[in-house]
Amino acid sequence: MAKKAKSRTIPVRLISMAMTGYYRTMIRPRAHRPLSMLKYDPVVKKKVLFLEATKGGKAK
Amino acid sequence: MSAASSAVGNLPTRLRNFFARYPPQKYSALVAPQPTPREASQAEGTEAAEKSLPSPYTPNRDAKGTPKPDLEKYSFSRALLHNDPNFPNPFLPQKIFRTGKWKGPRYGLREQADLVKLAQKYNVEPLLPPGPKSTPYKAARLSERGLAIKGTGIGQKVKGHKWERTMEARLEDRRKAMMEMPEMIRLWKQRGHGRGWRQWPKR
Repeated sequence: MAKKAKSRTIPVRLISMAMTGYYRTMIRPRAHRPLSMLKYDPVVKKKVLFLEATKGGKAK
Repeated sequence: MSAASSAVGNLPTRLRNFFARYPPQKYSALVAPQPTPREASQAEGTEAAEKSLPSPYTPNRDAKGTPKPDLEKYSFSRALLHNDPNFPNPFLPQKIFRTGKWKGPRYGLREQADLVKLAQKYNVEPLLPPGPKSTPYKAARLSERGLAIKGTGIGQKVKGHKWERTMEARLEDRRKAMMEMPEMIRLWKQRGHGRGWRQWPKR
């Protein structure tokens, strides 16, 4: 029996590098490189770097 | 005698009126019979120790912690509140045995507290009748009950919530991360906005 097809896009979690525990969830194409962007963190009230959290600890 | 009368003259009117109404020779804590604290506390201590000692063989859930204070039981602090039926203490309620009803104290707790504070200021507190606001009563009750607030005693502490216990460390982490943030952003921009980034955080 054929396996269920994987979806083209995946939801990922972008974690604030200010260590506040704040994160944003985004959707990116599965084949794309990991997301990273400058975003506002309401806990420290500043624009900080958000990096995509790897699920199994394996980065692309 | 003249010294005493001048001392009385120095008292504020409120205290003078009180002493005129309730002369210390009849009403004060000085003339009230003093209970012996040592015997009372010893008796109470052994009784409490016997009560709180749980049997090692029968696990008793009720034996946990300190026993609840028995309000009917004799206690030194309660014995301090002497009430002579011939000279009814104006700081304590009276039971009228004829009707079986209770009459409130002549002076409310707030007025009592005011009087006690005034008397303390003029060093005549022992001349007041014994009452729930008097210093010896409060001291005796505190020694019987201990401090009501958990964690305020010497060597005590409260566990607190987890967020309270870990708050300091978390704030320190955050502070460090924010210190390194400009450098991190500079590196991130230098490495093609994440193209050459290696250290992705773990979830």
